[in-house]
Amino acid sequence: MTAGATSNGDSRALIRLENLSKRFPGQKQNAIDNLSLDIPEGEIVILVGPSGSGKTTTLRMINRLIEPTSGRIFLEGEDVTSVNGDKLRRRMGYVIQQIGLFPHMTIETNIATVPRMLGWDTKRIRTRVRELLDLVGMDPEVYAKRYPKELSGGQRQRVGVARALAADPPVLLMDEPFSAIDPITRARLQNEFLQLQTKIRKTIVFVTHDIDEAIKMGDRIAILDESSHVAQYDTPSTILAAPANAFVEDFIGAGASLKRLNLTHVADVHLLDWPTMPVSAERDSVRAALLRSDKGSVLLVDDARRPQRWVNAMDLEHGSIPLAESGLEAPVMQRTATLYDALNEMLNSLQGATAVVDENGAFCGVIDIETVAAAIRKMREEARLVYRGEGGSPREPALAGAERGGDGDVRGGSDFGGAAPGGGDDFGAAAAGGGDA
Amino acid sequence: MSDFREYLSYRRDHLLEQTLEHAQLVLYAIATATVVSVLIAVLVYRRERVAAVALAAVGALFTVPSLALFALMIPIFGLGFRPAFIALTVYALLPILRNTIVGLRSVDSAVIESAQGMGMNRLRRLVKIELPLAWPVIITGMRVSTVMTVGIAAIAAYINGPGLGGDMLEGLARIGAPVALHMVLASILLVVALALLFDLVYLALGKLTTPKGIT
Repeated sequence: MTAGATSNGDSRALIRLENLSKRFPGQKQNAIDNLSLDIPEGEIVILVGPSGSGKTTTLRMINRLIEPTSGRIFLEGEDVTSVNGDKLRRRMGYVIQQIGLFPHMTIETNIATVPRMLGWDTKRIRTRVRELLDLVGMDPEVYAKRYPKELSGGQRQRVGVARALAADPPVLLMDEPFSAIDPITRARLQNEFLQLQTKIRKTIVFVTHDIDEAIKMGDRIAILDESSHVAQYDTPSTILAAPANAFVEDFIGAGASLKRLNLTHVADVHLLDWPTMPVSAERDSVRAALLRSDKGSVLLVDDARRPQRWVNAMDLEHGSIPLAESGLEAPVMQRTATLYDALNEMLNSLQGATAVVDENGAFCGVIDIETVAAAIRKMREEARLVYRGEGGSPREPALAGAERGGDGDVRGGSDFGGAAPGGGDDFGAAAAGGGDA
Repeated sequence: MSDFREYLSYRRDHLLEQTLEHAQLVLYAIATATVVSVLIAVLVYRRERVAAVALAAVGALFTVPSLALFALMIPIFGLGFRPAFIALTVYALLPILRNTIVGLRSVDSAVIESAQGMGMNRLRRLVKIELPLAWPVIITGMRVSTVMTVGIAAIAAYINGPGLGGDMLEGLARIGAPVALHMVLASILLVVALALLFDLVYLALGKLTTPKGIT
C-alpha cells in the first residue's frame, strides 16, 4: 500500500466528495470549505482532526443528514447530492458514538430496522438478524430478545454495528464509534472490528479525534485542519514517516515510531514455534517434551488448544501441585492485535513473550520481545528508504498541503533524521509507561 | 346512617346510570383532548417559540373558572351533553399537551439521530420512535387530566350536562328536604370513587402499555 494521496480520477472511488462546502445560517465562515475527497472501495478511511475541524459535519454531509451548501456527492458513480435523503441513508450504515439504540425495542427489532423499511419478508429478516449477531460475536439465542438497557456499553456498540450492517449497505459511516467505551473494551472492539472488516470489506468512513485510533484502524487517513481543509491524505505509514507539514507533525505528536508499532499486526510477523502439551498430559511426557525442545518452557493447552499455563523444569519438580495450576498463567494475544498491543502485554505481564491465538482462541504461535524489536528495526529501515526516495518528491504535488510542501519537506527531512534516536527515546519512555499501567 | 344505606340501595339503578354517564362524559372529553393535544404537540414541539405560544393559549383557557366556561358555552352550543363535553375537553388539554411536549422533547437526541441516519422519515420516526418513547409521560398527563375532569364534570350539571352533578345540584337546592343530604352525599362519594377508580385504571394501563425496554 504505497502512494495514494488525493487520487482525483481514481475510478475505484466508491464515494467522491467534490468541492463540498457548508455554511451554517448566521455564520460568516464556511464550516466546511471546498472539500474534495475520494473514498476508495473496501477501505477504511479515517477523518481525523482537532475539534472544530468539521470532521463530523463532513461525515454527516456524506449521508446528507446535513445538506451541503454547495458541491456534489457521488456514491457508486451516481450523483446523490439531490436524491431523496431517507432513501440514500438506507444505503449507508450509520454508527454514532452514543449508539442510539431504540430503548423500547428488542435487539432483534433494532437490527431489523432498515430491512423492515426495505420491505424484506419476516423469515429473511430473522435469518439476517441471527447471522449479524453471530458476526459481531453475540449469541442470538441469548441476546435477540433482550432490550438495550440489559447490555453493557461494548455489547451495545456491537449491536450498533450489526444494525448498521443489517441491509448489507456498501458504505458504513462511523462517528467516533468507540470513543465512549472504556479503554480495554475499546481496544477489543477495535480489533474485532478490523477482523470483521476482513470479512465484510465495506467502504468505511470513520471519524475520530484520536490519532492513535486513526493509525490503528485506517487504510488511509485524512488529517483535517480548520474548515475541513485536508492537510494530508495518505496511508498511516506514509503520514508517520513523512508528515506533509507542521500541522500534521504537530497533530501526530511525539512518539511517531512507537505509533508505528500500531501499523503492524501480530499476524504479519513471524511467530515462534513453541512446544505445547495438553494440560491433561502426564508430568513425565511434559518433561520429555521440554527436554526435546530448545526452549526453557512448555505451553500447556486445553482440548481446544487454548493456552493455559507456562511451565518450566522447576515447575515440573513440584510434584504436589497439579499441572493445571503449576507455572505461570498464559496471557494471550489475538492475531489481529498490533505489535503495540503485544509489547504492552509483555511489559504488563513482565514476561518476555506472549502466546498468540486465532479467532477461536486456539494457539498459533508465540511472539517475543525480540520479534517486536526486529520489526521496529525493519520499519525504521523502510522509513529511511521512503525518506531518501522523497528526494525528487514524486509524491509531494499530490499532497493537499502542497502549497506548504516545499518548506514542509525540508523540515520533515531534518526532523526525520532526528526521529530515529528520538524513536528510541519514545520506546524507552513508553516501556516505563507500560510498566506503570 | 342506615337511612343512607337504604337510599343507596333504593336508588341503585339511578345512581349507577348517573355514574356511567359521568364516566362516559369524562372519557369522551379525555379521548378528544388527547388526540387534539398530541396533534398540537407534534406540530409545535420542535419549535421553542411556537410551543410556548400554544402552551400559553391552552393555559389561559385552563384558568377560566369552570362555572364561567360552562356559562360561555350556552350561547354557542346550547344546553346538555355537547357544551359540557366541549368545556371539559378544553380543560383536559393543558396537562396532556404539556406532558406530550415534554415527553417528545425528552427523547434522547442520539436515538433520533440514529433513526434519521438509518433513513427513517419524519412520520416513521414519530410513530415508531418518538411517540412510543414519550408515551409514559403522555399517559401521566392523561391521568392528571382525567382525575381533574371527573371533579369538574359535576359542575356540568349547571348547563344540563349528564352525570352525577345533577343529583348534587338538586340536593343542594333542596337542602333540608328529606333525602336532599343523601343525594348530595351519594353523588360526592361516587365522584370521588370514580376518580380513584380511574386513577387505578391508569396505573395499570401505564404499566401494561409502557414498552418493556424503558421501564
